[in-house]
Amino acid sequence: MSPELKEDTYIYAVGNRATTVNKTGEWRFLTPEKTGRISPCRSDCLLDGEVPRWLEAVKKEQWAEAWEIMKNYNPFPALTGHVCFHPCTENCNRGQLDREIDIPAVEKAIGEWRLENYKKPKTPKEVKARVAVVGSGPAGLSCAFYLAEAGYRVTVIERSELPGGMLALGIPEYRLPRRILRQELAILKDLGIEFKTGCSVGEDVSLADLDREFERVFLATGAWVSRKADIKGEESGDVYDALDFLGRVNTGQPPKLKDPVIVIGGGNAAVDSVRTALRMNGINHVSLVYRRSRAEMPAFPPEVEAAENEGVEMIFNALPREIETDAQAVKAVVFDYSKTNRDGLVVDSSRTFKKGCGTVIMALGQKQDLSILEEAEQPFSLFAGGDLVTGPATVTEAIKAGRVAAEGIRAQLEGLPVPALSLGEEEPVKFEELNLAARFDLQLLDRQPEPEDEADRCLGCGTCNSCGICYLFCPDLAVNLSDGNYEINLDFCKGCGICATECPARALAMEGGL
Amino acid sequence: MNIEELNRQTEMMYSGHSACPGCAAALTVRFMTRALGPNLTVVITASCWSIIAAVPPLSTLKNPILHCPFPSAGAVGGGLRRGLNKKGHHDTTLAVLAGDGGTFDIGLQALSGAAQRNEDYIFVCYDNEAYMNTGVQTSSATPIGARTSTAPYPMFKEGQKKDIMKIMAAHKVPYAATATVAYPDDMHRKFKKAKEIKGFRFFHILSPCPPGWGTESSDTIYLSRLAVTSGFFPLYEIEDGVRWNMNMPLQDKRTPLKDYLGAQKRFARMEKERIEALQQEVDLDWECLLENVRKTEKGKPQHKTE
Amino acid sequence: MPFELISGTQAAAIAAQRVGVDLVAAYPITPQTAVVETLANFAARGELDGDFVSVESEYSALATCNGASAAGARVFTATASHGLAYMHEMIHWCGGARFPIVMANVNRAIGAPWVLDPDQGDSLSQRDTGWMQIYCSGAQEVLDTVIQAFSLSEELLLPCMVVFDGFYISHTYEPVDVPEKSRVRQFIGPPTFQPQVKPGQTSNLHGLTTGDNQQLLVKKRHEDMLKAPELFKSINERFAQFFGRRYETVFSEIPAGAKTVIMAAGSTAETVRWHLPELAGAGMLQLRMFRPFPAERIRRIIEDHGIERVIVVDRNCSPGMGGIFAQELKNAVYEMDRPPAVHDMILAGGIDLTVAKLKDALRAWPENERAGEKWGVELE
Repeated sequence: MSPELKEDTYIYAVGNRATTVNKTGEWRFLTPEKTGRISPCRSDCLLDGEVPRWLEAVKKEQWAEAWEIMKNYNPFPALTGHVCFHPCTENCNRGQLDREIDIPAVEKAIGEWRLENYKKPKTPKEVKARVAVVGSGPAGLSCAFYLAEAGYRVTVIERSELPGGMLALGIPEYRLPRRILRQELAILKDLGIEFKTGCSVGEDVSLADLDREFERVFLATGAWVSRKADIKGEESGDVYDALDFLGRVNTGQPPKLKDPVIVIGGGNAAVDSVRTALRMNGINHVSLVYRRSRAEMPAFPPEVEAAENEGVEMIFNALPREIETDAQAVKAVVFDYSKTNRDGLVVDSSRTFKKGCGTVIMALGQKQDLSILEEAEQPFSLFAGGDLVTGPATVTEAIKAGRVAAEGIRAQLEGLPVPALSLGEEEPVKFEELNLAARFDLQLLDRQPEPEDEADRCLGCGTCNSCGICYLFCPDLAVNLSDGNYEINLDFCKGCGICATECPARALAMEGGL
Repeated sequence: MNIEELNRQTEMMYSGHSACPGCAAALTVRFMTRALGPNLTVVITASCWSIIAAVPPLSTLKNPILHCPFPSAGAVGGGLRRGLNKKGHHDTTLAVLAGDGGTFDIGLQALSGAAQRNEDYIFVCYDNEAYMNTGVQTSSATPIGARTSTAPYPMFKEGQKKDIMKIMAAHKVPYAATATVAYPDDMHRKFKKAKEIKGFRFFHILSPCPPGWGTESSDTIYLSRLAVTSGFFPLYEIEDGVRWNMNMPLQDKRTPLKDYLGAQKRFARMEKERIEALQQEVDLDWECLLENVRKTEKGKPQHKTE
Repeated sequence: MPFELISGTQAAAIAAQRVGVDLVAAYPITPQTAVVETLANFAARGELDGDFVSVESEYSALATCNGASAAGARVFTATASHGLAYMHEMIHWCGGARFPIVMANVNRAIGAPWVLDPDQGDSLSQRDTGWMQIYCSGAQEVLDTVIQAFSLSEELLLPCMVVFDGFYISHTYEPVDVPEKSRVRQFIGPPTFQPQVKPGQTSNLHGLTTGDNQQLLVKKRHEDMLKAPELFKSINERFAQFFGRRYETVFSEIPAGAKTVIMAAGSTAETVRWHLPELAGAGMLQLRMFRPFPAERIRRIIEDHGIERVIVVDRNCSPGMGGIFAQELKNAVYEMDRPPAVHDMILAGGIDLTVAKLKDALRAWPENERAGEKWGVELE
């Protein structure tokens, strides 16, 4: 490496050329690489969404990029932002510092951006096969979206006049603004998805018909069969089924309820019902009565809390024995004490009480209607997903089922790899593993009002979120910064490992070799 | 300053230099040259940076560098400053870069003379606590108990590390500060502050050295952080030799010194009594520092240098 | 033109002030202290253009000059003996770095033990450092040489030492023609040599260099220094026009028929010249420029006059070898067809050169002895 000095040019030693001619990357025997470890939010996400990545995109105000990342796992963030119960926030590592990231808020922001900035794709995709989707709930809509994006001609068959399934008929307006569903549906239609409403498979058209007309069929009819209590008085006109009640409210034909109202059940439908009933004119008192304890309620706890804060009376460990009526009008409900023990539900009829009311809403849970499958004369391949397969679950899980089904259909028809059903058993990055000491600029902050600022609080947890610490601490300036993204410069990286040790998100690890 | 703002600073250093992987001295000068701006000239005396600066016709820094012999840093800086002024370059910042040898030992005389004369430049000592460039020999900046190539096991460095900051305070220099690489925002702020002050300014920067300290190259920042949180290397400033500002008030939340020592092979097989003695010294110095800070907060003696 | 009664040290200081230096950084040491004090007085009266810095050691004095010179400033310092030895590393450095620094060195013996007498060993032991060296024999010469040294040094980009004896010259007051500052400024304008440190321009100055490249640099230094005698001549032509005085690298006064010359440098040369008529037809050579050694000039003088013997006055001794001027002379005359005999009169320790000693030296050596040394204490 002996540089040349020309005679008579130099009279003393001086240098002015950059040392970048020395590719010190050749010193390396370990190389920093992105670990791709999983964050708690992603691990808990029912959609397997890459949460830290789209949070980072929002932080950088790269909304289009954020949508692209979101879309891979969640086509309807504006929807899910409202209705998903967001298990991702429970184990958010930031929660052990100051406050967990308000992931729903950022998700909603991406969703709204998506709705506002949707543009029909210019070049129509080459049309592949035709696929039928039965049921226009979240599972069906999700599957339709992914297939349409991939170039399939999709027809969604819905027995109701209104597409959306639970989104349209089960979830109240205060939980999911109608406008969002309307906009999402408009986009789906604009993408070329055909909607056949008022058409019931089994009645108006058979599965066999569908099998003949379409390349593949995806069944996503959900779980709409309401359980009955089978008690005296249940046939009264003032006794409503929860789903039916909510559906009528959502379609603008709310029944006339008589105050006070008792809702029986402990699931989300029950809570939706109490909160919807309370919002109706002339209803002043609403009670929710559940046969088990509060802790055992399957409903989403924040919803239960919200209901309580709104003034809903909560009664636990009470099982309805009989509805007292007077000339077909409901007067009261008689309850027995009930509780769960080792053997199941035990009822103590000696401890009873009567509660007066004008309306009873039964929210005892739903079942799937599997009769649709009995029709099959000859075996043919079917895809099915959502509540139809799992029993009553969540919108979010249904959306994932739709995506997996779409990928499965594509795998069969295009020879693509079979989709993974889950991300695997990898341990998410724990709070103790994070190197927060490196973030000398870290401040304890509360929830930030702007989504970009809130997204900025994300710690990454296994995913690079472009904090810049690797660039800052590299003694060899061997990290390139372009467009807000940081990449290791392998020409000069000596493999010292400072970046991997200091990375606050634990997104880098030293791997053997060049 | 936050990380993003720090990363937007103009870089004055090139990749491709020959510092060891994980070298804090390289990082220190990177931070220094960013903070002091493009109109900066650097004097470098015999130290690791004599080599890191590269072999002509190459140069690791965009700024002009004047190399000088080992004992001369303090004086050459004074001469260069005056020469630059004579040529009208009053706005050019001048930094003199020396290791612990060129500051604490062979360079102490010139440093003292320059400090006493209040020569107008920024003297930056990057302290890796031994003569690292020549192979880890003992210096008066080596902490007690450390093994070096001239105090190999079972020997160890006897005698305490010189308190160079107190020496500078005794010279009543306008500004003296400690800093280290794990706190880049603190270092940046101090360099920017020093740039605006006239007269002799002094920086004592702890610079962990993986080969010399017997540590992993990846642990440089971690060690530098631990040195501060254990109280071994507190972050503080002294103005005019009499006003002491603490930059990291840790109070009683200091981490145990043995964690810091245990991470470095140069302190391996250190006897328990010696660790305790060192912990006591660190505690004493810490108390002394707090006392000076308290006195400053109360009365603020106001003498100024001319 | 007024004559002033000044000492050698004052002459050196005045010359620096007249030339207009940007910086003086110095440390006092006997017998040089008056240089520093005179310059301080100029500074106090506001008559010194540049900074006057009282540094804390000679090493720092030269280091400060080094730094300022790197920025393109004209600098001056002075020292002696131990001080010169102390700055030895820096002297090498300035030579290699090609800084045009002018330094006055007042000869004084280096211990141990403590000695104040003017042994020339201090400046001579720096002869390999790449500095030019000019030895003066009186205060006027000191003043004139310091002025010329700046010219010489800034042209060749090599530092220059102006050397004169302690006490004999430093502390002796002589009548000296002291030129006006404006006149000197006309003779030598402001410094125009390129600064090495140019703010804003990347330059890794004097960084680690390989042996191969160092060879090229040393060769250049050597070749550049060999240009000094020619340059010195043209500077003196000009000097003569301005000030009516001129100097040569070697001054010779050789009566016709002389076969022996006495070569001396410093105040001893003056002694020899004054007493030449009493010295039995011998001639004298005053060695002024010592680095580069004016070998060619000396050979010509010896050949032109048919000199057969040179007695060298060496107020120095390199233990294990002998007088240094004698050694250098032998080296210079080696290539001659008929080199003269070289007899070394060693006055190491700085002892006085008396006429008696000179006469005794002329008698002392046998006719056919080619070389030999006699110590001052052995002579009358």
